[in-house]
Amino acid sequence: MILIPIWLAVDRLMDVTGKSPFTAIFSLSEHPLGTEAIYFSFVQALLSAILTLAIGLPIAWWLGRHQWKHLNIIRAALTLPFVTPTIVAAMGFLALIKTGGPIESIGIDLRFESGFIGWLSDATGIENSGHIIALLMAHAWFNLALVIRFVEPKIATIPPRFEESIRLLPIGKTRFNRARYFWWPMLRTSIGSAFVFTFIFSFTSFALVRWLAPDMWTLEALMAIEGGAAGIPNYRTEASLLVLGGATLQGIILLFALGLAGYWEQKKAISNDIVSESFARKTAGKPSPIARIGVALALSFALAPLISMLFSSIRIRDRTNESYGWSTEAWDIALTGDLTYVSALEALSNSIIYALACMVVSVLLGYAVASSIHAFESNGKKKTARAIDLLSMLPLALSGVMIGLGVLLGVLKVWPELFQWYGLPIIPHAMLTTPFVIRILLPALRSLDSTYDETAAMLGYSQFQRFIKVRIPLLKNSLVVAATLSIAFSLGEFGASWILLRSGSWDTLPILVDQLMARPKYFELVEPVAMATASLLMMITFILFVITERFREHQGGGF
Amino acid sequence: MTIEIQSLTLSYDENIILSECNLRLTEGEILAILGPSGCGKTTLLRAIAGFVQPDNGTIHLNGRILNQLQPEERNIGMLFQRPVLFPHKDVLGNILFAYRRRKDRKMKDVDEIMRDMGILSMKNQSIETLSGGEAQRVVLARALLTNPELLLLDEPLSSLDLDVRRQLALEIRATLKSKNIAAIHVTHDHEEAAIIGDRIIEWSELNPLESE
Repeated sequence: MILIPIWLAVDRLMDVTGKSPFTAIFSLSEHPLGTEAIYFSFVQALLSAILTLAIGLPIAWWLGRHQWKHLNIIRAALTLPFVTPTIVAAMGFLALIKTGGPIESIGIDLRFESGFIGWLSDATGIENSGHIIALLMAHAWFNLALVIRFVEPKIATIPPRFEESIRLLPIGKTRFNRARYFWWPMLRTSIGSAFVFTFIFSFTSFALVRWLAPDMWTLEALMAIEGGAAGIPNYRTEASLLVLGGATLQGIILLFALGLAGYWEQKKAISNDIVSESFARKTAGKPSPIARIGVALALSFALAPLISMLFSSIRIRDRTNESYGWSTEAWDIALTGDLTYVSALEALSNSIIYALACMVVSVLLGYAVASSIHAFESNGKKKTARAIDLLSMLPLALSGVMIGLGVLLGVLKVWPELFQWYGLPIIPHAMLTTPFVIRILLPALRSLDSTYDETAAMLGYSQFQRFIKVRIPLLKNSLVVAATLSIAFSLGEFGASWILLRSGSWDTLPILVDQLMARPKYFELVEPVAMATASLLMMITFILFVITERFREHQGGGF
Repeated sequence: MTIEIQSLTLSYDENIILSECNLRLTEGEILAILGPSGCGKTTLLRAIAGFVQPDNGTIHLNGRILNQLQPEERNIGMLFQRPVLFPHKDVLGNILFAYRRRKDRKMKDVDEIMRDMGILSMKNQSIETLSGGEAQRVVLARALLTNPELLLLDEPLSSLDLDVRRQLALEIRATLKSKNIAAIHVTHDHEEAAIIGDRIIEWSELNPLESE
């Protein structure tokens, strides 16, 4: 179900262009924006990953080393950006950098690039430097949680005796040496994973690029725009070539990145015994003033775009005298839908229906795949298990836009009536969320002690009864986390929905936000209405996030 | 006759674990099998329980051939090395797990067995609050409520302190005898085998492969 639409789409594009996916890569340079898109995708993803590590590592270090009051709340606040829908993140950053916004008010004009930013553009010769800085900061903001979630639990559970021992040896006398010979080998796989995933998410980012750097092109953005004209015989073959070559190149880069992370993990991972976080934290004790300031700044960074967005939905510009006033008018318009084809409430109900259906499909499918992999592992068929495991991870190397195009060009070619089907977005949403469900359920299944099942069998329970009475209750937490994340991802999904739902009465909340922002801003309430709609989406995501955090089991070094 | 095992052979990959193993237990008899760790004692019990399939040989229980039956169809109870209590249930919930259907529950029997095992006062306790000995008592009570034709004891006392181990060994023997339940107890501890078993055999006697 996950890979067939992609295969069908590739087949169709090959028919239309007469080229194989690999030869289509070389045709990318023929598109006027092709080379620029490849270059910018790669550079901005690399810079985003470096910036995210630069900001995230000190925070992860301080959080993992010290005893913090309200640690769970701090962790949750710093993780919130990662579960925030990208369109909400884009709106949050737009609210931060807009004219009259908090960033401009301190003299940094990222939007129109006047003052210091203008000087920077002139000095470096980089066009749109303000937009690029905003994009990199937004990617760092979005992926900060990855660094913290990968690295912080690892730091917090390493037995303090290791570091104490190395301090007593000549090699461990200096901080630099301890970092080089002890901390780096212990943390490098977590740091590597965080880097790779940040690179992947930045490479495939669409909503943030579309709204924060509208003059720049990434492969993802270019494919999304050109995708509508692709796949039609004898019509704009260059669009089909771009989608075929771009998707192939992007797939190869993402697969290579994932493979590199897997190889790195396999070769360099050090398995060590772990201690409870509270025990390890006692050694370093209370945080230093610098650590407190650093974490406070990180919290401000994590929450500022969201708070700014919320304020922008109630702070309305008066065009007659260029002043601002407070009003809930934008919320009223958003809820009644006066500016759009569907109201925010209708879009919300669409989003919720799609998210629930996606949750059912992805949890069922994800459980089936995860339990098959686990069954093969338990029966000693490790190679088969590894092959299915790798296959199930392939969709992680596909972006929202690629999956949307896969459904558009693949499934709809075979079954055009699906275009009339209300539930169409469920297909790409489930394709995107199922790999995450598998990744959540598989470790849970592996850690499930088989003696529970065997004991229930000895008490006379059939396989089905054991599934209902033993397995489900024991997997409850992981199932709730998988289901909630699946709902959250589906609610915030933008790329695939944007491809499939460009005009219609089935718009989801993210699509509605995009439509509102794309309208001319002559009417002063257009932007606040978009901010109100995005705030509504943020609030629902926040509720789901709190539920997930309640059930998530914190156990060393993973997401 | 309770159980008869004939020419049981079992191998993992190329390694032969059980070779031509023969065993016979009479009604209500408790057999203790003594052997070092890793010799294959647990595998024998898992084959009798149905968790692993033997390559050859037959297992009869009170006239039934067990080989083709699923573990849940064999009416056998088993105590593992580590007491297996379901973490999503309290003590009573774990005991009631002996009944597959709510309507089958016999609360009089439950109270009686909990009293006999000295765990009645712990009825509503969380399983996390139990000591190792108490947890094994709960597991034993649950197994006995299913009226098994045979009880398999896979070193259930090995993780307990010496005093508790001796005490519980005596209690297990007394309980099995009072209910006339046949049992196979595998252990590497001579004293434990002597306390629980009616008859003791060395693993090497049972599995000719060992004596070669």
